[in-house]
Amino acid sequence: MTPVNQSPAVESVISLQDVGIRFRRNRRGRRNFKDLFGPRKRRSRPGEFWALQHITFTVQPGEAIGVVGRNGQGKSTLLKLVTGVVLPDEGTVHVTEGVAPLIEITGGFVDDLSVRDNVYLTAGLHGMTRKQVTARFDEIIEFAEIADFIDTPYKHLSSGMKVRIAFAVISRLEEPILLVDEVLAVGDKAFREKCYRRIEELLAGGRTLFIVSHNERDLRRFCTRGLYLDKGDLVLDGPLAEVLARYNTDYGVKPAV
Amino acid sequence: MGVSSSDFWHGSAPRSHTIDRVSSYAQVRPEQRTPIARYRHSLWLLTQRDLRVRYSTSVLGYFWSILDPLVMAGIYWFVFTQVFERSVGNDPYIVFLLSALLPWMWFTGAVSDCTRAFLREAKLIRSTRIPRTIWVNRLVLSKGIEFLAAIPVLVLFATLYGAELGVDAVLFPLAILLQAILTVGVGLLVAPLVVFFRDLERAVKLILRFLFYASPIIYGTTDLPPELHFWAAFNPLNGIFSLYRAAFFPEQLDWFAVMIAAVMSLVFLGLGLVVFRRTERAVLKEI
Repeated sequence: MTPVNQSPAVESVISLQDVGIRFRRNRRGRRNFKDLFGPRKRRSRPGEFWALQHITFTVQPGEAIGVVGRNGQGKSTLLKLVTGVVLPDEGTVHVTEGVAPLIEITGGFVDDLSVRDNVYLTAGLHGMTRKQVTARFDEIIEFAEIADFIDTPYKHLSSGMKVRIAFAVISRLEEPILLVDEVLAVGDKAFREKCYRRIEELLAGGRTLFIVSHNERDLRRFCTRGLYLDKGDLVLDGPLAEVLARYNTDYGVKPAV
Repeated sequence: MGVSSSDFWHGSAPRSHTIDRVSSYAQVRPEQRTPIARYRHSLWLLTQRDLRVRYSTSVLGYFWSILDPLVMAGIYWFVFTQVFERSVGNDPYIVFLLSALLPWMWFTGAVSDCTRAFLREAKLIRSTRIPRTIWVNRLVLSKGIEFLAAIPVLVLFATLYGAELGVDAVLFPLAILLQAILTVGVGLLVAPLVVFFRDLERAVKLILRFLFYASPIIYGTTDLPPELHFWAAFNPLNGIFSLYRAAFFPEQLDWFAVMIAAVMSLVFLGLGLVVFRRTERAVLKEI
């Protein structure tokens, strides 16, 4: 379903059409060759459930969207679908611009390599050329505040430092779409604030933001639009305040009197 | 139900002011490269990483990759020239051995690494969206580079033992190409299936050990009994190794086996691509 009043000049950067994805409930469950190669049936088989189903929405460039919902309602899966690291079982996901995913950000880092090598590797895997990385290298290190550890093997960093350097790299990717999945729960308060400012700068620079968070304050800080996921359905798509209000009436704690 | 109301937002003013430190992405975003260039870039980065990790964490580094085939060649050389009376292969036997052992190391190394292609890199696969065939191809590539790096050893032994390099040495690149196709094909087949059937990891090890003796490594294609000749050709390694060996031992070249090997390699590649594509979706959920 396409938005009606859409101005023709602006093309959506993200568009999901009737997207569904299902997972096995029981990871150890038996699989057979027929399962793997058989046609993708729309019906879910016993032992499988739809993590998301019939999700349809579009995102315009520059929008900041917060995804809310309880644990296990498909928020992270939605981000992964947009990133393209999982593929939908039905429907189509269409993302026209590059994505800088702040999802499992430390995933690309190799324990045995130095911080320097890791920065080049991760930024390179996300599409940066060597020259571009070199141009931003100092900036990245400065942001992560680990100038003394450039040649230290990654495994010797503290877990806080690991996240800091990872965030510094991904947030310098200059991709038009930024996906944030609660990674910021780690790190000390000062660094978190720094990350938030960085995200705000990116937003001001015209990036599209997609953020999953349980922190209402964070959501209100960045987002204008909200998506409310519940039991695999997109229950509400509207202004953030409305979405939060609905979420709070459904599940929220009553504000203290 | 899906409620789409992005139209809701069109009233709001676009964020257009720019803060100095953030350049607008139109200017600096990763230059639009073709998908193929990006693929090559990522493939190369990961291969480099593989090699760097392997060599930065060990003292002997490069020597490990040639030590393994050298020790094996030494053992077979001892057993078949000093202990038993050898009736197979050509002289000098050590060159005969190495000319098939080195490519075998590439094949077996890459295929057994492929059994863990997804499992080992699960975190990275979950966080980047580079084309998934890279996870197989980079293993084949890094083992292939180690193979190329080990070729000087073959040359060294050939000069030491006075094996003559024939004109058929021009077939070497063809052998490498065929082997690359075959190895990628098998890798694409094995890598996703292991994710669902963990037993396959051990089965592959067993099959590889069997294949070592079923392929002309310690013997030559010509040493097989004539009635096995036709069937042995369906092991694509047969034709490929005969191409490698032709550089020093022209009589080892068997064009019939090479033709079959070429067809079989392409069949494996096609099969691998189909299986990989069909299972990709499920693999991504599983890891």
